[in-house]
Amino acid sequence: MMKSSGLLGVCGGALVVLAAAACVSANAADKKLFGVSWQHFNEERWAKYDKACMLDELKKFPDWDYIETDAQASAEKQTSDVETLITKGVSALAIIPYSTDSIKPAAAAAVANGIPTIGYDIQVEVPGVFYLSFDNAEVGRIEARGVLAVKPTGNYVYIKGSQTMDISNLVHGGQVEVLQPLIDSGKIKIVGDQYTDGWKPEVAQTNMEQILTANNDAVDAVVASNDGTAGGVVAALTSQGLVGKIPVSGQDGDIAALNRIAKGFQTVSAWKNSCDLGRQAVQVGVALASGTPADKVGKSKFCGGPAKVCQDAIELKPVAITRDNLNIMLDAGWLTKEQLCAGVDQVPETVHGVNPPPACK
Amino acid sequence: MERTPIASMHNVYKAFGGVHAVEDVSIDVMPGEVVGIVGHNGAGKSTLIKILSGAYSADSGRILIGGEPVNLRSPRDARRYGIETIYQSLALADNLDASANVFFGRELTRRFGFLDHDNMRVETRKVLDRLKVRIKSLRSQVADLSGGQRQAVAIGRAIYFNAKVLIMDEPTAALGPEETRKVGDLIRNLKSEGVGIFLVSHDLHDVFDLSDRITVLKTGKVVETVHTKDVTKDEVLSLIILGQRTASGKGVMAQ
Amino acid sequence: MTESSQRVRARGASLMSSGEARRWIDALEIDTRLLAMIGTLVVIGLFFNVATGGLFLSPRNLYNLTLQTSVVAIMACGMVIVIVSRHIDLSVGSLMGMLGVLAAVVQVHLLPTGAWFNWIVSLVVALSAGALIGAFQGYWVAYRRLPSFIVTLAGLLAWRGGAWLLAKGTNISPMDERFQMLGGGLEGAIGPTWSWVFGIVAIVGWTAIIIDGRARRSRLGLAARPFAVDAGIVIVFAAAVIAFVMTMNSHLHPIRKTPMGIPIPVLILSVVVVIISVMATMTKFGRYIYGIGGNPEAAELAGVNVKLVTMLIFVVMGVLCGLSACVSIARLNAAPTSLGEMEELSVIAAAVIGGASLAGGVGTAAGAIIGALIMQSLRNGMVLIGIQSSVQQLILALVLILAVWFDVSYQQMRKR
Repeated sequence: MMKSSGLLGVCGGALVVLAAAACVSANAADKKLFGVSWQHFNEERWAKYDKACMLDELKKFPDWDYIETDAQASAEKQTSDVETLITKGVSALAIIPYSTDSIKPAAAAAVANGIPTIGYDIQVEVPGVFYLSFDNAEVGRIEARGVLAVKPTGNYVYIKGSQTMDISNLVHGGQVEVLQPLIDSGKIKIVGDQYTDGWKPEVAQTNMEQILTANNDAVDAVVASNDGTAGGVVAALTSQGLVGKIPVSGQDGDIAALNRIAKGFQTVSAWKNSCDLGRQAVQVGVALASGTPADKVGKSKFCGGPAKVCQDAIELKPVAITRDNLNIMLDAGWLTKEQLCAGVDQVPETVHGVNPPPACK
Repeated sequence: MERTPIASMHNVYKAFGGVHAVEDVSIDVMPGEVVGIVGHNGAGKSTLIKILSGAYSADSGRILIGGEPVNLRSPRDARRYGIETIYQSLALADNLDASANVFFGRELTRRFGFLDHDNMRVETRKVLDRLKVRIKSLRSQVADLSGGQRQAVAIGRAIYFNAKVLIMDEPTAALGPEETRKVGDLIRNLKSEGVGIFLVSHDLHDVFDLSDRITVLKTGKVVETVHTKDVTKDEVLSLIILGQRTASGKGVMAQ
Repeated sequence: MTESSQRVRARGASLMSSGEARRWIDALEIDTRLLAMIGTLVVIGLFFNVATGGLFLSPRNLYNLTLQTSVVAIMACGMVIVIVSRHIDLSVGSLMGMLGVLAAVVQVHLLPTGAWFNWIVSLVVALSAGALIGAFQGYWVAYRRLPSFIVTLAGLLAWRGGAWLLAKGTNISPMDERFQMLGGGLEGAIGPTWSWVFGIVAIVGWTAIIIDGRARRSRLGLAARPFAVDAGIVIVFAAAVIAFVMTMNSHLHPIRKTPMGIPIPVLILSVVVVIISVMATMTKFGRYIYGIGGNPEAAELAGVNVKLVTMLIFVVMGVLCGLSACVSIARLNAAPTSLGEMEELSVIAAAVIGGASLAGGVGTAAGAIIGALIMQSLRNGMVLIGIQSSVQQLILALVLILAVWFDVSYQQMRKR
């Protein structure tokens, strides 16, 4: 008896929420809808940058309204989410796919219904879908170039991302593009090359410890694929007293990584301004909905997915963040000066560039 | 009655989901007496002894130990009143050795509350000697012992702590003739020491051989409690099967 | 290679069971299974040492290896008692992640930076939160009778979510400087002198226990083990401890070139193993854990408070997750929200390779440590050779299967 009344309560609660949601959408029925299907709305980034900037950009278009769903890391839920958004009659749809494969039928249905559909941040490889993301190969190129600027020759280590994700190989492709000619000419030698299971910093740390042991510390530069793995690499270098002596790359503009750059522990982080991505999504959606042909909206063709489907695309360029331009991050409100410069004045003398970076002065 | 029973149960009820497993049962045992409890499977024997051993609690009814009413909420309570039980399943932890099983739940300790392994082994050896059972290595887990040895461990656990009341559920079911004889000797021995024993068994031969009185259960009720010397096996069998003393219906019906 | 050596060993054991050797080993009271695992570890070590041209058994790599093993090994000690009691804890990876983030939030965001009490407060917070969450999970398993698989599967999801909420998706760093010593970095070792003190205390303690045992047995009139055997055990143990301390002391600080000594995480692990082993073999609580694992109904009938014991097992597991979390974030000098992801599998695998049986009732903390060492040795050695992670995973999976297969056939042979 207890159980069934509890169940009723839960159902009742769910109904109230549903009804509230229905009311909101009813009020907005006379406006055009910009729909977003999130894969899992649990990263700080989504709320703070992507969504906030989408909403801000939408203010420029008074006859548009915003509607969203959160798949909570479920491929099945995201399929029904997209179907719901189609039923609600959205005029443009951005999808951040949880599963790049399972999302295809739902995305194809959206295209078939004539809804301008955008693969946001991650490609949805269905013909007719627009691709809006950062240029991940460029991320890899920035990482390689950043390290190369400090150590043009010597023993290099690749600390790659998770081998189960396409993006790891896209990024690594960019790194190879820059470094391969130098490897071929013998200026650079790869002395360690490991994927990092789940992009986990602990794994990167252990792998780096082993690579250092295997080479008796004769490592000159580390091309790490993101800031998390870079953190693991820096921890391993610290244990050998090598921190700051060996350039390390990364991406994402993690607060911890930017602090490391300020301290001279990390060399570069390829930063993808998600706010720009959010604004672009709105502009692309509105343009497509007003009838502008996709090849006019897109700035390039992207054919680099697993199935080699070519899509109209906008690939935003990431920015290389180094000690010299850290103030970009402060200006963008990404972090506070306090966060950026914490502990900068206590960096041991063994680290090069002890004087604080311009942004911390 | 000139003496007080060492243990008695009065008007005990126990139901599982509306089905009465034990209904208005009253039994007792005197010091130095063996009371056989017989009946078909499902007659309520197991439930009854689990109530007395504290594993189940009765829905209603009274339990007296030495004339004093007691409240048995757990096996721990029952053990505190000197009620020991040898279950048909033996209830041994197969992965532990003999002495760990004998002292399971009542371990001997030394400094800082650490287990006194050596002392427990010495005592286990003593109690097994008393049962005239040899176990080669006290360190081997009981899973590796023979049926008789395992039985001895279970019995040893019950008698080591100077039980006042001993409940034995099918103590000879898994044993050969030689070992069965040993258990018989043991029961007579304990009886002479003044222990009250409830003997649950399918084997009417054993029951007639060892018990002073016999209580017959059928569908959760007491059919009759008889003095062993006053009845024949056929009469008891008839009570078990038909619920009356003879087929002609001369017997006394259950109250 | 491991396969054939294990087969030989298993066959040897079956011969012994009927013969003289078996009786000898029984008399010596030596755990043959543990010996077999140590043998496997030695074989792995020698193989990689040859394959890496002497790098694998160098002080530096052994130092790193013990450090790399400690996080999983600390949790594996707890997992053993969970598995012994016929339960499982799938939540340890996520729980460790959340507790790590919690400890990081406390010292980075809540307490004043650089305060002397930073490290101890965040450690205590992580351990107590671990105990509380362990009690919570244990409550559902013990008192509400939900299968531990389900309760801790829910925990696996919930605590990962908790980590995200606490960190808001960010990677918290850097850690307090004193706290970092818990992770065994540059300054996180106890130096040569204290390492020798540690070694001598261990040897003297072990010897005292053996002498005390002999004295007690003779008082009770029990046959003591032959003196030569006890002396042999002490000598082997002392030699192992001395070799370990010397190895740790020959790894030099990379900048100062002074001996490092035993890293603090390894010290923590040693204390955990001793406590868990003493608890398992010498206390009522430990006896009940094994008894419940052998026959839960018998434990109930023997008057053991099965519910309370079960809940306490999860409390111990939770505390060890907290400890592990602190070591891990101190070592990494950061608390990422992904901390401990999939680690439950490594922890369970270490316990199982170390001899814990999922059927319950069997397993030791020492075994779990060796299980963890075997797994980490393989990972460590394979990265040294430059084998890719996909191949590493295949090999680790193979080792897991072989270990369990070896155990099953060993048990069957012993029964015959």
